[in-house]
This record gives sequence, C-alpha cells and structure tokens, in this order.
Amino acid sequence: MKNIEQVCKKIFTLARGAQCEVMAETRDGALTRFADNVISQNVASASVNYSVRLLENGRSAKVSFNQTGDAYLKHAISSALEILRRQKKDPALLPLAKPRPIPAIASRYNRETAELSPTFRADRAAELSRACRKTGQIACGTVENGVSELTLANNLGLFASYKESYVMHSVTVRDHDGSGWAERPAHDVKDLNFKLLNETARAKAAASRSPREIKPGKYTVVLEPNAAAALVSYLAVYGFAGQYYNEGRSFTAGKLGKRLLSPLLTIEDNALDGAAPGMPFDYEGQPRTRVTLVENGVLKAVVHDRKTAKKAKMASTGHALPQPSYMGPIPLNLAVKPGQGALADLIKGAERAILVTQFHYTNILKTQTVEMTGMTRNGTFMVENGHIAYPIKNMRFTQSMVEAFDKIDAVSAETGLVAEWGTLACPAMRLKDFNFSSSTKF
Amino acid sequence: MFKLASKAIEVAGKHRVDFGDIRIVEDRSQYLAVKNGEISGLTDSVTLGYGVRVLYKGAWGFASGSEMTERAVADTTLKAIAIAKASGLLMHGRVRLAREPAYTDFWQTPFLKDPFAVPVQTKLDLMFRLDAVLRRNSKIRVAQTSMNFIREHQWHMTTEGSRIEQVLLSSGASMTATAVLNGESQMRGYPCSHGGQTLSGGWEIIEAMNLPDHAERVRDEAVALLSAPTCPAGVADLIISGNQMALQIHESVGHASELDRVLGYEESYAGSSFATTEKLGKFRYGSPIVNLVADATLPGGLATAGYDDDAVKAQRWNIVKDGVLSGYMTNREFCGRIGKERSWGSCRADGYSNIPITRICNLSLMPGSTPMDQLVEEIKNGIMMENNVSWSIDQKRLNFQFGCEIGWLIKNGKKTKMVKNPTYQGITPEFWGSCDAIADHSEWRLWGVSNCGKGQPGQTAAMCHGSSPARFRKVKIGMHG
Repeated sequence: MKNIEQVCKKIFTLARGAQCEVMAETRDGALTRFADNVISQNVASASVNYSVRLLENGRSAKVSFNQTGDAYLKHAISSALEILRRQKKDPALLPLAKPRPIPAIASRYNRETAELSPTFRADRAAELSRACRKTGQIACGTVENGVSELTLANNLGLFASYKESYVMHSVTVRDHDGSGWAERPAHDVKDLNFKLLNETARAKAAASRSPREIKPGKYTVVLEPNAAAALVSYLAVYGFAGQYYNEGRSFTAGKLGKRLLSPLLTIEDNALDGAAPGMPFDYEGQPRTRVTLVENGVLKAVVHDRKTAKKAKMASTGHALPQPSYMGPIPLNLAVKPGQGALADLIKGAERAILVTQFHYTNILKTQTVEMTGMTRNGTFMVENGHIAYPIKNMRFTQSMVEAFDKIDAVSAETGLVAEWGTLACPAMRLKDFNFSSSTKF
Repeated sequence: MFKLASKAIEVAGKHRVDFGDIRIVEDRSQYLAVKNGEISGLTDSVTLGYGVRVLYKGAWGFASGSEMTERAVADTTLKAIAIAKASGLLMHGRVRLAREPAYTDFWQTPFLKDPFAVPVQTKLDLMFRLDAVLRRNSKIRVAQTSMNFIREHQWHMTTEGSRIEQVLLSSGASMTATAVLNGESQMRGYPCSHGGQTLSGGWEIIEAMNLPDHAERVRDEAVALLSAPTCPAGVADLIISGNQMALQIHESVGHASELDRVLGYEESYAGSSFATTEKLGKFRYGSPIVNLVADATLPGGLATAGYDDDAVKAQRWNIVKDGVLSGYMTNREFCGRIGKERSWGSCRADGYSNIPITRICNLSLMPGSTPMDQLVEEIKNGIMMENNVSWSIDQKRLNFQFGCEIGWLIKNGKKTKMVKNPTYQGITPEFWGSCDAIADHSEWRLWGVSNCGKGQPGQTAAMCHGSSPARFRKVKIGMHG
C-alpha cells in the first residue's frame, strides 16, 4: 500500500497540472486444478497493474502498465500527455470526481485465507479424489485462494482502497454417464465447507447416471441457486443498467414504478452490507449506495454512474465501471430476496418439473427482452408428483427472461452465493412455462 | 532479456527438474473506441513480466512475476518448484513431454506499416468520420467504432536448450450501428461485431477493410432490420456466410478437437468433447467435402507464429480430412496419448502470467468448387445468415445454437427478402454431415477470433478461421423464446 501511494504521488507530479486518476489493481493468487483424480495444473501469479487516466481541457487519455521504475513512469505519463494534447475536445467528457465520504464496511480480508499453501490446496483436492476413486467416480475442479486489492486515487484528493481475501472450491464429479457439480466462493476459508461441496457433487453425479431423453417444450423448472443466478445476472445487466435504460434498449426503459416482473421477485444491489457484499466505492471513486431495483415485481430504480446519471438528471448511485466504459454502469452486488422453504419444498410443490443444477454457455439473443439461450449441465432431473423421478439428458433453453421472471411460482429461503459478473446472492426458484427448444445426446 | 531468463534455467537446473522454461513477455496494446461522437475508449497499455514452468519429478508447477531482477526470477522459479512438489501429492504417474529439438531462432509477424507509428489522431479522425455516417439516421441510437493493436514480444528459454525470440503483431477494427424503435433494437456491423475483425499484421490490415465504403450500408441495414419480418421457424436449407462460419468452425470443431478437453482435463470449466480418441481416423465428422486444416504457418492468422509456447515449431495438419476426424490440437504433455511422438504444436499462454495450455490453432474450412451463385440457385426453400450475434454449445460440443445479425430468405434459387433475428440449431456431426456444397476459393476469407476463453484461471487466446460460405441441408431455424 505504501508503495502504491508513492507511485501515485510520482504519477501526479508527472501529470503536470492535468487532472489525473490512478487505479492500481494488486492480485496475488494461486489455483490448483485437478482432473481425472490428479492435479493437472498448479499455478501462482502475483501482479500489480496501474491504469492512469489524464484529463485536460475536455480531452482525455489512458495508459496502463505494470512497471513502476522512474524511467517507465516518465515514459508512460509523457506518452499519455502527448496523446491527450493531440486530440480534439470532447464536450461530453466529465471532469474527475471530487472525493466523497466512503462508507465504512466490515473487513473482508483474512490473512490465513490469502496465504493458504499449495499443500493445503493439494490436500483438499486429494480428499475428494480419494473418495471418488473408491466409488469409481472421477474428480475434477479447482481450489483457489489469494488476495486482491484495488486502489483508486486522483489529484483532487481522492484516495480509496479496498482489499479482500478470496477462496473458492469448485467441484465437478463424473460418474460414468452422470455428472454433478457444486461451487462456493468465500472471503474466509472457515466459511467454506469443502466436505459438503464434495459430497453434494458426488451424490448428484451418482443420481444423474443413465439419464433419459425427454421431448423439448415448455416445462415448469426448479432452478437451484446457481442456475437461477446465471439468469438473474443477465436480467440485471440488460435491465437495471443506466446506459441501456437511457438508450431505450432495455425492457425497463421509461417504466419506473411499473410492475414488470413477478410479485415474488425483489432484487437489490448492496455492496455495503447486503448478502453479496463488495467494494464500498465504484470505479469513479463514488460511494456505492444500496439500490432496490425491483420490489415485488415493480421496477424501482436502475443503477447509474456519473455520466448516465447526468443524462437522467439524477445523482450517481455508485455503480461505475473503469472509465471510460462503453457498457456504462452495472449492478455488481446483487441480492435476490429469499422466499420461503427449502429447495426440497420447491421440488415437493411441483407436479411435473425439470430440476436444473447449473446452466452452461448462456448467451443473450435479444437484449430488449433479455431473450437467452443456454444448456443445462451437471445434473438435470425430472420431478414428478413432488419427487425427483429420474435424471434426464441435457436440454437447451431459448427463453425471454422478462417472461420467465414474470412466471415465478416459488422462491426458496435458502440462498447460494454465486460468482457471476460480480457476486450474487440468489435463492432457488420455481418458474412456470420455461421453454426448452432442443435436447442433446448426454 | 535472455540473460535474465537464464537465471530461471540455472535455478531449475540446480534443482534437477525434468523440464523447465521461462517466457518473458512484453505486451504493448492500444485500444481506441468512439461511441455516438464521443471517445469511449483510448488506452495504451504495456505490461512486462515472466512465467516460469517446471516439471519436477513428473509434476507441474508454475509461477509468474513482474519484478525484472535476477533475484525475483530465482524466487519465482523456487515458488514454481514448491508448487510442483505439492502437485506430486496427487498424481497417477509422471508427466512426460514429447520430444522436440532445441531451437535458437527469431521470428516476427510480417507487416508493412507499424500501427503504433500511425498517429492516434489519424485513427480517431477515421473513426469519427465513420461515426458521423453511421449516425445519419435518427433511428440509429448507438454507433460504435473501435480499433485495437497488439504487439507481443516474447523471449522463451527452456532447460532443453531452446532460445526463441518472437514478435507477434495484430491489428483490428470494427464499426456497428444499433437502430432502436419502440423498444426493439437491431445491430449491424462491419466487418463483424464482437470487437470486429483482427488479423496478424500492421496498419495495412485496417486500410484493406475499406471501412468508409461500408458505413452507409451498415447503417441502412440496421434500420431496415427494424421493419424486417422475423426469421421463420422450421427446417430449411442454410447458407452460412461472413464471420458466422468462423464461429461455427471454432465452436463445433476447434474446441471439440482440443486434446486436453477430449481427455477430460477441462471438465471442470469449459467441458469435454464428443470427439474422443478412439474415433481418430474413423469417425465421420462431416460430409466427404469437409476438410478442416489447422495451420500455425497461415499468413494473417492470429495463431500464426514460428513456435508455440511449448517451444514446438509451427506446423500444418488436418483435423478433419474428407469428412473424417484426423487430428487434434495438441501439446507436448498429451500428444503421446494418441500415439504421437511429436506435438502438432498448439499450446499457448495468455501473456506472461498464465501457464501454456492447449489452444485452438488457426483452423480453416478448405474451399470447395461451387460458384457462389450456384450455392444459392440450388436452394428451393432456404435462408442465408451472416455475421454472428450469439453463440452457445453444450459441454461436449454437440448441441449448438447460433444467432446471426441478418438473414435473407432464398426462394426457388433467388435471394429474396431480409429477415431479422435469424437463429439455427444443430448437432455437430449431423450438421457437418449435411454440408453439401462449399463455395470456391474466390469467396474464401480469413476471420479473426480474438476473445476465445478457456482455462482456470481464465485465459484469452486469439486465432483465425478461414472459409468460404457453405451450404447445409435441412437445418432447424428460427428458435425464439
């Protein structure tokens, strides 16, 4: 941190009167990857990357680099100034933001988690592999840990920093023609139940052997938290982002206060003390605020950075991405309000439904209706009369998320924490009339 | 740089590793973007660092760093060895690498005009000019143009004695227009969307695109799509053109033929493959006219280099020959599993901080002998689709769905009206099996894919796919949610 402060000061001096913003991203992480019951890749990487944005008289330029010797800095900043001064003025360019108070948050750094050894990671992989070998299963996955830190400073007095440790265990188990999966991220290794994740994936793999083929068509679906989260994240990016809203390219455009989705759906973005917390400031150094996006299906707000907020004649909500951003702001710390009961209750309440563990290779087809496609993966089951009846072969869905999330039938009380574009806390959901357009051969 | 690199080789040698290498990589990139008359991106980036890979008692370790001192390189090498020792706790047998001669060489992407020497203002002037043309219709709500230039300078040294220096250069550009009306949006791009067209080479790549000649058409087609009928649902004959053929090749053949995923080593993330090793040399992947060639020597290719990151010399080989599965993308670790004594050389890393992994090489569909007009004339009821919008494929690379920017219905041998939101689905071997004509060499184009994601931690790689438009019979089209 001290070194980053010193580098910032040197850069501000070299900026020679231009407005100057420095973003320093530090990452020191390691990942042990295993497949076929052996460690297949085992890596560690440490880096500090700097991005510097210079603004002067309606012109801007950005440089990024990872070497901070005096000669490197001098060359990088003088190059940026040269680019900047040769440009035409951009009348829409906003000056840098003055510092604003950043809310205090609970620490999300745990040294033990950041410094887990390669032996620790190998042991966790070995525990799973040993269990899998005994039952003829094949273990694949990762154990990952490290620390990341982001510092944002400018020569108007802003200096904000956020540091977090991270650990993630991701498990895929193959059992002949069956497969299962479980994954969980955490800031503290003590919050991660390796054994539970391993057993969940193993049991699911065993249960999904000998899948049957069913006909594509419209089905009620029970989406486990990870599957639901994959869809919610697209809904959020294309529905609750200020730029799409302003440009009229979103289903939410001009519809604040109107019910657009199921009354069972409430979503907030809350990096400060929500269920999926994160950095307390955005990439313009603005304090992140808690934003209720949807309340009982009614659109309450979209998120803004300074640029989209200006166009919408309101204040930034603190959701800027690194500037300049062609995407505009997006919500990165989403929490879907839990409902009632467990996943088992959602299954119990379904007469005939498809239970989805995970979606694979999801992609957007039409932004304005958030029409998407993707495949099921690692455990897809037919539910009949409130019970899991049999495993089924994977299916492709082609479905508008605006329609899908208007047909929520039930939401669970249990939530999963999922790493998507940002972090997302999401319960399991049961949706009616979900369109599967084809099936595959496994 | 080789002096610094030799420190890693020295430390690895002292610890008697089976194999070790260091790649020092300096990446210079420039990205420019203009959106609706404003600069939305202008970044110059330079990173410098190194990655050290060791095979110690048959187990892998990798560590990277960016402090350019001998002491830091030595420490990073020791870290890689410590990680390899941990890997040794969970292994079946020792990893052995296929043999490859040691090389001392310098290789550079051929180019005519250094894109970094072209003034930023020249680039921005062109982009603002395009932007103005694209926005000359009130229905165009978003006009975007971009350019990107990347120069990667590598110094690669191995314990086997290879000492390879390479300078890889690429240049790319795009423009897109998005028309919006009554909450619906339609986008058209040139040469394509998803960041545009990138090839290896210099500023001459941008000049050859003739961007100003296409801006009006891009704008007008985006607006016309708003009022075009939706692609009908059903079964029809399909001609794929533009960069959509690149995506079709990439997703249904490129990834399916990566030997690491075929063997199950990508199961936890990207998935595996239906094209399993017992099928090599026997499996009918497509019709007999389908020939797909991997080529690391292809001029203009984004995966074109003198050597891969396993220090294997660039080669050209068949993945599908006369419709039959004939090869894989390989590295030195896994090629022995299919009985090959030498890797085909398709192992690459993203920058300095990632371990080299098996990647798709440049992979192209060889041209056929059918004139383009005949491709259309022989269709009674069909559709032509161009340029990719969305892609999705299952984890074994069988069931896919693609969406394209634009479609044109074909009736009784004639290209007729434009349709919007065209999509098609298929199962890989059945789909390639339905390919009954490929346009001739005069239509053959090389398309860049710059955003191929794979691996954990995630890595991005770039490669090219060349093809002429091709015709597929009885394809399921028009999926809508």
